[in-house]
Amino acid sequence: MLFSLAVRNIVKSKGRSITTLLLSTFTTLFFIVYVAFMDGSHHQIIKSSVEAYTGYAHVNLKGYRDESGYDNLIENAERIEQILKNDRSVKAYSPRFETYALLSGDEKAVGSMIVGIIPSREASLSKLPHSLIKGEYLNDNDPNLIYIGSELAKRLKVDVGSQIAMVGSSIDYSIAADLFTVKGIFKTGLFDFDSQSAFVNKTYLDTVMLSQNMASYFTLCFHDNDKIDKVTTELQASLPEEVEAVNWKTLLTALVQAMLVDSLFGYISISIFFVVIFFVIMIFSYVNIYTRAREIGLLRALGLTSKDIFGMLFVEILILATVSIVVGTIIGASIAYYYELYPIVISGMAETYKEYGIVSDEMPMHFDLFTIAWNALTIFILNLAAIIYPVTKINKLTAMEAMRYV
Amino acid sequence: MKYFLSLLLLTFTLHPNEAQDIIKKIEKNLRGEYMYSTMSMIVTSKHGKRTVKIESWSEGNEKSFIKILYPNKDRGITFLKIDNQMWQYIPKIERTMKIPPSMMLQSWMGSDFTNDDMVKESSLEEDYHAKLLTKSGNTATLELIPKEDAAVVWGKIIIDVDLKNAVPIRETFYDDLMQKVRIMTFSKVEQHGSHMVPMVMELIPLDENKKHNRTKIISEKVNYDAKIDPSYFTKQALKRYSR
Repeated sequence: MLFSLAVRNIVKSKGRSITTLLLSTFTTLFFIVYVAFMDGSHHQIIKSSVEAYTGYAHVNLKGYRDESGYDNLIENAERIEQILKNDRSVKAYSPRFETYALLSGDEKAVGSMIVGIIPSREASLSKLPHSLIKGEYLNDNDPNLIYIGSELAKRLKVDVGSQIAMVGSSIDYSIAADLFTVKGIFKTGLFDFDSQSAFVNKTYLDTVMLSQNMASYFTLCFHDNDKIDKVTTELQASLPEEVEAVNWKTLLTALVQAMLVDSLFGYISISIFFVVIFFVIMIFSYVNIYTRAREIGLLRALGLTSKDIFGMLFVEILILATVSIVVGTIIGASIAYYYELYPIVISGMAETYKEYGIVSDEMPMHFDLFTIAWNALTIFILNLAAIIYPVTKINKLTAMEAMRYV
Repeated sequence: MKYFLSLLLLTFTLHPNEAQDIIKKIEKNLRGEYMYSTMSMIVTSKHGKRTVKIESWSEGNEKSFIKILYPNKDRGITFLKIDNQMWQYIPKIERTMKIPPSMMLQSWMGSDFTNDDMVKESSLEEDYHAKLLTKSGNTATLELIPKEDAAVVWGKIIIDVDLKNAVPIRETFYDDLMQKVRIMTFSKVEQHGSHMVPMVMELIPLDENKKHNRTKIISEKVNYDAKIDPSYFTKQALKRYSR
């Protein structure tokens, strides 16, 4: 009987029902799209940082993360190379040899990171080749040519074709020194990286540093980078005991935490929106219920208990909330799914904001069923909670009081 | 009351003076106006041993010139230190470079000494408050706490001293969190002119990651008596005396 009464009330007061439906549908839709967009941009920022240079995972000697000096180098790089080659989950990999050395143009000397890379293999692992702004990217047969960050070039006061002297320490700790010619200048937008990094063809750098068949680490990406934890653990099983596989969640801990803090602030701002929505729904329900005071009084006089009244109004909002949340979720999830597959493209954004490390024009959303489910459930609970106060309030009136209520 | 105050004052003034006197004597003994020396630096690390032979000229504590004699790959590399600045010349690329502040904490020639260790002019006498901890016969143990305005990196240094020769036997360095960071030992004391010189010095870092590391410096020739040509302490000398 309560259910049919509730349905009758919904159908009878079309205007009120449609307004409630629209309000809840819009709230659900907005919440799902907002969270999908926030998560999407975080994924995009992480993807940009991962792909700029770091890579999805590294394979290095245990202890290298704490002390990245020559004591923790992979000394038989070919062996690791074979393991990575035979691992089906690994899509691409390349060894890197990182060291710190003194670089000097004509005037000033600057301490910098020098990395030996295999230029052709880096193309599928990082954005280094795409970050070129002047000159040319390296190739696998380059001799003493160097590819340097734009800020480093400014600090050293050098340009493409200029000569740079490098003084560092070779593997046997003797002095390693050489002259390099600037082949290209890159800019990733990551200021520290652009002001402290320089790249040389690894085959050549190995002859200067005496680091043949050695690597600081291998950078790699998997076929399925979305299941990074699982594939990293599986890869670890095939590696020698002294070697470890770590993925970007460890390599970029600071960034991951920054995204977490940003999400937290995102949720705080949206919760303010929720408070507003909650009160809007509550006030709306309050007004609605009180305009029906005479009707409720009559029902009470006819023998319905306050519990029945509560049940009837609760079923009403339950029906309305269910319908609006289902509709809002379907639309919201569709939007999130669509914009995950076909991200919003703001053409020229990457070019304009290259300085800030944005390397893509795309602004994707993130479609995740679990996130959508808890978003929808939150709005659903919010809807139900909003009628508790008005219903309790009207139930305090007696049948006579309710019927006389103006 | 007056008696107690005077006694207290006496306790505070006597001991620091004695400790300070010991430090003063050590510094006077080890530091000559001019010093020429040749030495071998043996660096032991996880990868094995490496020997570097060095020729060095210095004037006081402010100026020094170092030339690498061995290994042949590094032969002719020169370093010049004036005050707290350092330059190096690499013959292979014929370049002189000033070592920037950001590289000062990097290892010097792969040893456990940093570039900063090579240039810093910190004087135990001027930069530290000395306190006598124990004294028995010819040995004493001193505690050195940096003065408030001293530009030093250590939180504390404990020195065992050979009072007869006015040389340190062992120095234990603590960081600002009072954790032991490294130990330096001195041995084989020889007389050179009016100076008593420990000919062997060994640095042992206590960092867990460097547990295999040692740097031993064995002095071969030491001469405090000859005046050193000021031309050694110019940037032109880096290239000129490289060969």
